[in-house]
Amino acid sequence: MSTIAHLPLILLLLCGVVAADQTLAPVPGRPPAPDFNLPDTGGKLHRLSDYRGRPVIINFWATWCPPCREEIPSMNRAWRSLRESGVAMLAINVGEDEDTIFMFTADYPAEYPLLLDRSGEVISQWPVKGLPTSYVIAPDGTLAYRAIGGREWDDEKLLELIRGLKE
Amino acid sequence: MLLALITCLPVAAAEVVRSADGQTGLAKWSFTAGDLEIELIQRLPDQTRGFFQARNFPVAVADEIAGNCIFQTIIRNRNTSGAGHMVAIDLETWRIRHDGAEGGVKLKESWLASWPEATLGQAARLAFQWALFPTRQEFLPGDYNWGMTAYGLPAGSVFDLQVVWQSEGLTDSGWMRGIECAPDVEKLK
Repeated sequence: MSTIAHLPLILLLLCGVVAADQTLAPVPGRPPAPDFNLPDTGGKLHRLSDYRGRPVIINFWATWCPPCREEIPSMNRAWRSLRESGVAMLAINVGEDEDTIFMFTADYPAEYPLLLDRSGEVISQWPVKGLPTSYVIAPDGTLAYRAIGGREWDDEKLLELIRGLKE
Repeated sequence: MLLALITCLPVAAAEVVRSADGQTGLAKWSFTAGDLEIELIQRLPDQTRGFFQARNFPVAVADEIAGNCIFQTIIRNRNTSGAGHMVAIDLETWRIRHDGAEGGVKLKESWLASWPEATLGQAARLAFQWALFPTRQEFLPGDYNWGMTAYGLPAGSVFDLQVVWQSEGLTDSGWMRGIECAPDVEKLK
């Protein structure tokens, strides 16, 4: 059989390699999530413990971080899919001011709340070493899943894991 | 002692590929061995100067960082099957060979300790802390991180880098040879 005849199969295999599975790692021992009380870009305060009873996605990010930018569109799609089922999503910017974020969101609009950790005090209390890092908090306030690096957040397998925390 | 130990370790079936970064056109080197992938992408010293000056670094400090052969670095656990193993790195164990001399990666802890509080404020320290690659990090399947790594060499230097990692309780290593620090375009003008 010619190479051309094999082309659909080759393309299928290549797509399989490119579209890698999206993973969230379970956090061993499920420690409690460190609480915080941070303002969003509109000045509204968000205390993590006020979200008790709902799964919460916490995403640490910065405007200069390329994979942080890359995952924003899929986070928007995930947020649209999850918010009606009671899942919260909070993205915590590390070390930057409102003006920087305002300028950034003109090019990369984010539909979920963007919180400001200008001093880095909150991130220093979390087990985070690089940006982006995300945690999914279970309704009981414990760290359920972790993702180091960006993800395609609207991947159905990821969404199922997150929705599964409500049960 | 550490170097002797590392050089005795078995070298994984690794592959190193040099190519051009799709976005910048700058040279990049990719190292793969098992689940581990390491990418080093050249950063022009002027890019690095600009990045740190935009974050309120004094010109002299931004220039000092830019003159240390900085690479944008991506480390990834390529296994996304969910059944893979953790991969751990410690930059302190990586070795550099350049002009017959051996050295180590310049770690962010040593940079931060070298700048008095009066020279570099808290906001700039925070930016530096998060812009540089963590000295030690563990990667579960699907995890990856980006950050700058510094090799303490003049612009345009060519060096070999021995990378070391741990997986499934074993330490392994491999060489990335002929890595080139980006030229300092600003100083060529």
